[in-house]
Amino acid sequence: MKPSPFEYSAPASLEEALEVLAEAGSGAKVLAGGQSLVPLMNLRLAAPEHLVDLNGVGSLSEIRADDGGLAIGAMARQSTLERSTLVEELVPALAHAASHIGHFQVRNRGTVGGSLAHADPTAELPMILLAAGGRVTVQSKARGARAVEANDLVRGYFTTAIEPDEILTEAWFPRLEGAAGWSFQEVARRHGDFALVAAATVVRLDGDTVADAVIALAGVADRPVRAAAAEELITGEAPSAALAEHAADAVRGELSPTGDVHASSEYRREVAGVLVGRALSEAAQRAQAGS
Amino acid sequence: MSELTIPRGKHVGARVNRVEDPALLAGEAKFVCDLTLPRMLHAAFVRSPYAHARITSIDTSDALAMPGIEAVLTGSDITAYPLSDLVALEGLQKTPQPVVATDRVRFVGEAVAVVVARDPYVAEDAAARVEVDYEELPAMTSVEAAMGDDAPLLFDDLGSNVVFQTTRTFGDPDVAFASADRTYRRRMRGNRFVAAPMETRGVLADFERASGKLTVWSSNQMPDLLRVTLSAVLQFPAQKLRAVAPHVGGGFGQKMTTHPEEVVVAYLALQLGRPVRWIEDRRENLLAAAHAKEQVIELEAAVKDDGTILAFRSRCVGDAGGYSFNQASALIEPWYSATLMPGVYKVQNYEFEVLAVLTNKTPIGPYRGVGWTPGHTIREMLLDEIASDLGLDPAEFRQRNMVTAGEFPYKACVGQVYDSGSFIESVDKALEMIGYEEFRAEQESARARGCHLGIGISPYVEPTGFGSEAAQQQAEFPFPSHDNATVTVDPTGKVTVALSVTTQGQGHKTTFAQIAADTLGVELEDIAVVQGDTDTSPFGMGTYASRAAVIAGGSVALAAGEVRQKILDAAGVLLEIAADDLTIESSRVSVKGSPGRGMSLGDVAMAAYWAPTTRQEGKDPFLSATRFYDPKATYGNGCIVAVVEVDVETGHAQVKRLAVVEDCGTVLNPMIVEGQVRGAIAQGIGGALYESIVYSETGQPLTTTYLDYLLPTSTEVPSIEVGHLESPSPLTVGGIKGMGESGLIAAQGAVVSAVIDALDPFDPEIEELPLSPDRVLRSIGRISG
Repeated sequence: MKPSPFEYSAPASLEEALEVLAEAGSGAKVLAGGQSLVPLMNLRLAAPEHLVDLNGVGSLSEIRADDGGLAIGAMARQSTLERSTLVEELVPALAHAASHIGHFQVRNRGTVGGSLAHADPTAELPMILLAAGGRVTVQSKARGARAVEANDLVRGYFTTAIEPDEILTEAWFPRLEGAAGWSFQEVARRHGDFALVAAATVVRLDGDTVADAVIALAGVADRPVRAAAAEELITGEAPSAALAEHAADAVRGELSPTGDVHASSEYRREVAGVLVGRALSEAAQRAQAGS
Repeated sequence: MSELTIPRGKHVGARVNRVEDPALLAGEAKFVCDLTLPRMLHAAFVRSPYAHARITSIDTSDALAMPGIEAVLTGSDITAYPLSDLVALEGLQKTPQPVVATDRVRFVGEAVAVVVARDPYVAEDAAARVEVDYEELPAMTSVEAAMGDDAPLLFDDLGSNVVFQTTRTFGDPDVAFASADRTYRRRMRGNRFVAAPMETRGVLADFERASGKLTVWSSNQMPDLLRVTLSAVLQFPAQKLRAVAPHVGGGFGQKMTTHPEEVVVAYLALQLGRPVRWIEDRRENLLAAAHAKEQVIELEAAVKDDGTILAFRSRCVGDAGGYSFNQASALIEPWYSATLMPGVYKVQNYEFEVLAVLTNKTPIGPYRGVGWTPGHTIREMLLDEIASDLGLDPAEFRQRNMVTAGEFPYKACVGQVYDSGSFIESVDKALEMIGYEEFRAEQESARARGCHLGIGISPYVEPTGFGSEAAQQQAEFPFPSHDNATVTVDPTGKVTVALSVTTQGQGHKTTFAQIAADTLGVELEDIAVVQGDTDTSPFGMGTYASRAAVIAGGSVALAAGEVRQKILDAAGVLLEIAADDLTIESSRVSVKGSPGRGMSLGDVAMAAYWAPTTRQEGKDPFLSATRFYDPKATYGNGCIVAVVEVDVETGHAQVKRLAVVEDCGTVLNPMIVEGQVRGAIAQGIGGALYESIVYSETGQPLTTTYLDYLLPTSTEVPSIEVGHLESPSPLTVGGIKGMGESGLIAAQGAVVSAVIDALDPFDPEIEELPLSPDRVLRSIGRISG
């Protein structure tokens, strides 16, 4: 468990980082909190030729209200999500979900941008970004900044739309407004383990019925996914336990997850339904309470 | 004073703080990986990626050509005898394991070459460049596959993958089964564990050519056995071989066995004339260090309608992995499950069949609660089923069948003689601690609101103090033990206690100093405890099988008692009074009843060493004694009660509460006992809900990091309430019994029983452990396929 040899750069600014990355070519990797990349390197499952360490780029850690939502610098540590009153106020699901990422030691190092760019299909943050309908900003030296919508970010297992010469610099989450409620549910073998299944929902009410709903899941596919059929099924209906059950069944019908050593495909499908049912009920209650 | 009595001063039995903790907490304790020597090289092993294959060729040239590489050796370059077990039981086949494979590999992770380099990074780089060609052979990953008629053989000349098979009958189980009102049967596939010590294995070897001395520092529990084994397999003179176990960060049995890597690193130091160090990484520990406990067990019980258990019948099949090499052999699991199956219960009719079967997995070695864990778990699961079927309370049903206080010494049918104990009392106390009646009421009301709580009751008896008699009673074959302690008072009156048992963090430097302190009348800070170095410790077997407290405790008490007498004799001469009229307290020797008349222990010692007047004809003036102690068999007991909550929709189970009563006879230090109990229970919780080494069908291990091999952490282990009962052994010095394994013997059963109890309304079917959320949902039919 010792990494193979690699070059290491510690740029002091984003411009310098983009420049180093552009020069280093496709064998380079960006190092953020290192909570996934470094173990992969130690196991020699990843062998980047060049590490571009962003920990010296201070400008990437800011969290601020912006554009009717919450902008989070890529190098903001996951633990700051749990403690920030701004996050709690604007995107409470994010604050809540963050407490499920690893253990506090991991969250003190792990970053928001690192998790989004790593794109583990069981990870909390990409799923929350998808559920919230957020986006990320990526930048390269050659082409400048561009926005990538949550829907387009993750392309498969640990694969994203981010090009080798690009750095994810910021994530943006829209503010949860009006008669809307959220819920986050997760089952893991132990607290802090990768989710077997996680679900995040947003339910917006119009009077007594669901105006629109988002159901996002992690751990059930090669990327975080939305359960479109179930979303459609509940839209326009009045929230109830029976409706949540209905949606749960619809979710089960939509998924064909892959099993692993911790849980089978059947388990993930079944429990995705359970968590969606719970998450819809809780989100609807929150929406009712908030309206 | 009888030699069986330990003087009770202010130390024995007290919650004395551990003297070893400051060094551990300050990071000053030196483990193998903290030891460096000038010119030291670093070894890395090339390991087989195949579960079963022939090695057709190995090309080391690329690796050798890399800068910083000193040597690359394959199996054929190494002159060492293979490792084999030391068990002399008729019918047990031997499966010698070469320290580096030569022509065949039998599990993923088996070493096929070793690289030596100037730094460990370069060593790993070069290890990746060693080209090994394999011809893959069919892999067997279950005992069923390995026992099949056309199963490929792991050792062609054995003619079978079954290395041991026997049946034993006690009493008349056939008649008991024929006359029973009801019979029950259960089958369980127990999980494959790994001991997962916090410190992985590690070896540093240094050969001084001029003196011819080879020193091997190893994270090992049995340095004397390591020395003897290295001497034998390397044909190296033992008088020039020193084995040292420095600070060791947990062993739990995994580090009893001499592993192949220890031989290889010693060999490299001899060949290269430079110190060589190998520090195992976690992945290697999960792949190649001994695994543990995997068995398939079938258990039947014959029962009368009134709840009397008439007989058991068991079949214990151990999944040995690729070799039955460890010093206790592949029998370490199934034999011990089978022989302790009756446990605390009065069952005199019993038949067992034991099989040990080779598979293409990592070899099995000892791990805390050897063999006893899965046997205990399936028995307690079966007892719950019987109680439920008979409509009896599970606690009452168990207690009805237990050995009672008046029946000790009790001879179990297999041959164990339980010297004393509190079997029934410990259940009562544990239930009281947990609030059993109140729990049942709470369980019912919780169920009504969809919350599923369950309770599991798991009483145990633990064979301890493994001396020759205990080994004979468990194992039916002689495995004589040999241990000593040396207690020396130096000319300044300070004390050195040298032990043959070793410590892996259990607090020996505290507990054994407590005994010496009370016997000699000195303070703890006057005592140094020395162990783990064959140059400075007396010969012994080391630490395993909950033996150290009994054996080292006894030998320290005996040796210290002898030295005390020498001190009193010398002081008697100096004070011109009979030695019997003197006593020692706080390092002062004085006349009983006249504390003013005396002298300091330092003055007595100084005189004893150098004053001619204190020398007496025919008496050895050296204030030192070495005593051998081989205790009678003695048995600890207790009871664990666990409460769990199960989410029946997600299958997620969580231990909410846990109470344990531990009876290990005379308690030397309750704080240390409680620490041992809690640690072992955490491991048992791991076995119930989390821990499992998993292989693919082709023999690829799928749990090679701690992301996949799940150890319980502080979020999974509740605060554990520990109660004490003391039934001192009538047979051992000081009435001491061993402890330490009990938590891992019985906690798995307690937690599994509790989960089954929680799932009772759903009629769960459980045949495999651990109880992952997936398995829980399967057991109640929520998922299938």
